[in-house]
Amino acid sequence: MTTIYTNPSSAHPDKAKLFGVLAEFASPQALVDAAADIRKAGYRRWDCYTPFPIHGLDRVMAIPKSILPMVVGGAAASGALGALALAWFCNAYDYPMIFSGKPYWGLPAHTVVGFMALILSGVVTAFMCVWVFCGLPRFHHPLFEMPQFRRVTDDGFFLAIEATDPCFSPVNTAELLKGLGAVDVELVKD
Amino acid sequence: MTLAVNEVSVPVDFDNTGETDMKPPVLMTGEASYKRVTSLVSRIIEAPRAPAIWYPCFFLSASLAGLLFALIGYEVFTGVGVWGNNSPQGWGFPIVNFVFWVGIAHAGTLISAILLLFRQKWRTGINRFAEATTVFAVICAGVFPAIHVGRPWLAYWLAPYPNIMGDWPNFYSPLLWDAIAVGTYTTVSVLFWYLGMVPDLATLRDRATTRLRHTVFGILAMGWRGSAKHWKIYDRALLVIAGLATCLVLGVSSTVSTDFAVSLIPGWHETIFPPLFTVGAIFSGFATIMFLAYPVRAIFGLKSLITDRHLDNIAKITLFFASIMLYIYLIEFFIAYYSGNPYERYVYMNWMFGPYWWAGWAMLFFNGVLPQVLWFKYARTKWWIAAPIGLFCLTGMWCERFTIIIGSMTHDFLPSAWHHFVPTWVDYGMLAGSFGLFFTLFLLFCRFVPVVAMYEVKSILPQSHVHLPKMAGVKI
Repeated sequence: MTTIYTNPSSAHPDKAKLFGVLAEFASPQALVDAAADIRKAGYRRWDCYTPFPIHGLDRVMAIPKSILPMVVGGAAASGALGALALAWFCNAYDYPMIFSGKPYWGLPAHTVVGFMALILSGVVTAFMCVWVFCGLPRFHHPLFEMPQFRRVTDDGFFLAIEATDPCFSPVNTAELLKGLGAVDVELVKD
Repeated sequence: MTLAVNEVSVPVDFDNTGETDMKPPVLMTGEASYKRVTSLVSRIIEAPRAPAIWYPCFFLSASLAGLLFALIGYEVFTGVGVWGNNSPQGWGFPIVNFVFWVGIAHAGTLISAILLLFRQKWRTGINRFAEATTVFAVICAGVFPAIHVGRPWLAYWLAPYPNIMGDWPNFYSPLLWDAIAVGTYTTVSVLFWYLGMVPDLATLRDRATTRLRHTVFGILAMGWRGSAKHWKIYDRALLVIAGLATCLVLGVSSTVSTDFAVSLIPGWHETIFPPLFTVGAIFSGFATIMFLAYPVRAIFGLKSLITDRHLDNIAKITLFFASIMLYIYLIEFFIAYYSGNPYERYVYMNWMFGPYWWAGWAMLFFNGVLPQVLWFKYARTKWWIAAPIGLFCLTGMWCERFTIIIGSMTHDFLPSAWHHFVPTWVDYGMLAGSFGLFFTLFLLFCRFVPVVAMYEVKSILPQSHVHLPKMAGVKI
């Protein structure tokens, strides 16, 4: 006996071509209230899009804490140790040399170099982490096809639920968002 | 659309400097809507032509910048003898200018990093162009040590790389620390500036009407789409960078001061130098902001975003640091007297009454005494008082660098080693040229890059504050 597994999304041709549904809200407060209800409704693959960071929205959406500070901390510590090791290798090991009667290896004199390496590696890592963790640069995104989405960097507050979400249904999800006070709800093609 | 019910609008000329019963204080005058923030800032870049006064300013600055590069060419081909540098004064104007410009580079990071950590919301109106002054001042600063090495094409010898001679740089040398500190500061301030600008570049991308504009801003914006998940990472990264940059801003001028403090020259060998240089740096940076903020907001019509309250606060910080400067000067003079060391005493007498007396008194008066006028609110909020004071403070700070470097080094222990320093026309030309370079970059920045951080201003408007909904059974 053969079992035929079907991809649920391929069973619905319309759903397969969809990125999801995009809803616009009139104010930050309306968006935050709607986000709370979407989370309660059990959706998993959705996101809010805003012109500026709305404080508290991350908690409403239950976005997990970023590991960025820990990565940066590790990189900063490695940078400082690496620079100190370099100073030791250069002036105390590979070509030992006495400068002004000072010892070959003297931590106080190398504080500045170690400190600057700490800052530099920390900041460069934090900068790189933003792009790696955000999955950017990504110059094309289905949402960019929506004319109203151009206002996301001006005064538009959006909530998009992706078609890959198990709870997603083109009709019901759109109805739910309308019921939550969205001023405009549209399906987004993938 | 999207005008929230609790939006507060006050007249454009509203005096928001005083204490009001509106909490939090009004930081944007006129109609405080998101759309207006976007259009006020974006229209500067989107206008087909810059304001009329921009063109003569740019022509003058670019000419001076051209002079700088011409003189650098002249110096490189002829040799460092074109400067007034001599023995014992081997540092001369290039290092005076270097320390001066590094100092100016401190305000931007201070405003963006330290005021971010202290949650000072008013910084959002001025942080972008303060950071720009940082980046451009650091570029001006970097020019001078590079040409002062005499053979700039060998400057890479500072880097620890395996070479045929088998030797390495001297990690005990403050000059190496200096190169590392300034290199770090340049990298960090550029990354911080760019990272803070990405959401605003996305705004310009989304408003673009031409394909070229859309492509350029599109690439620069990295595909930013304002996702809440991205904002969370972004906010966290900015906070982490701010924490590191705060340490850095206190570390860079301290490191520069070790160029002097680690030596044994009277007038340089002082433990107070790291705080003196750091305070002086922050002071000169704020003086620059105080001087630049008035023309920027007048020329580009940003009075709603850079309000009197912002300028009042900048003046207060300038006053605070000027008072610390005055205190340090008095302590320096007192310690020179109290130490009983004849060389130390002589150097300070020479600063004030020797051949460079004008620089010594300019330092004391412009940095310590004149800014005390800013105790009066009238002086803090009138452009014709505050902006000239900013300029005088800059003059005073340059004179301070001159006094410390030239005044001390030309008169050390042995009178037989003394030698007067006289700058040449190349020295003056390069000083003027460095201002040209700074203003050229600054004017280009004002015309082509968002001069105010739009997304940050939007985030502090009253309607951006949300009440978190109660979620039964879910911890938020």
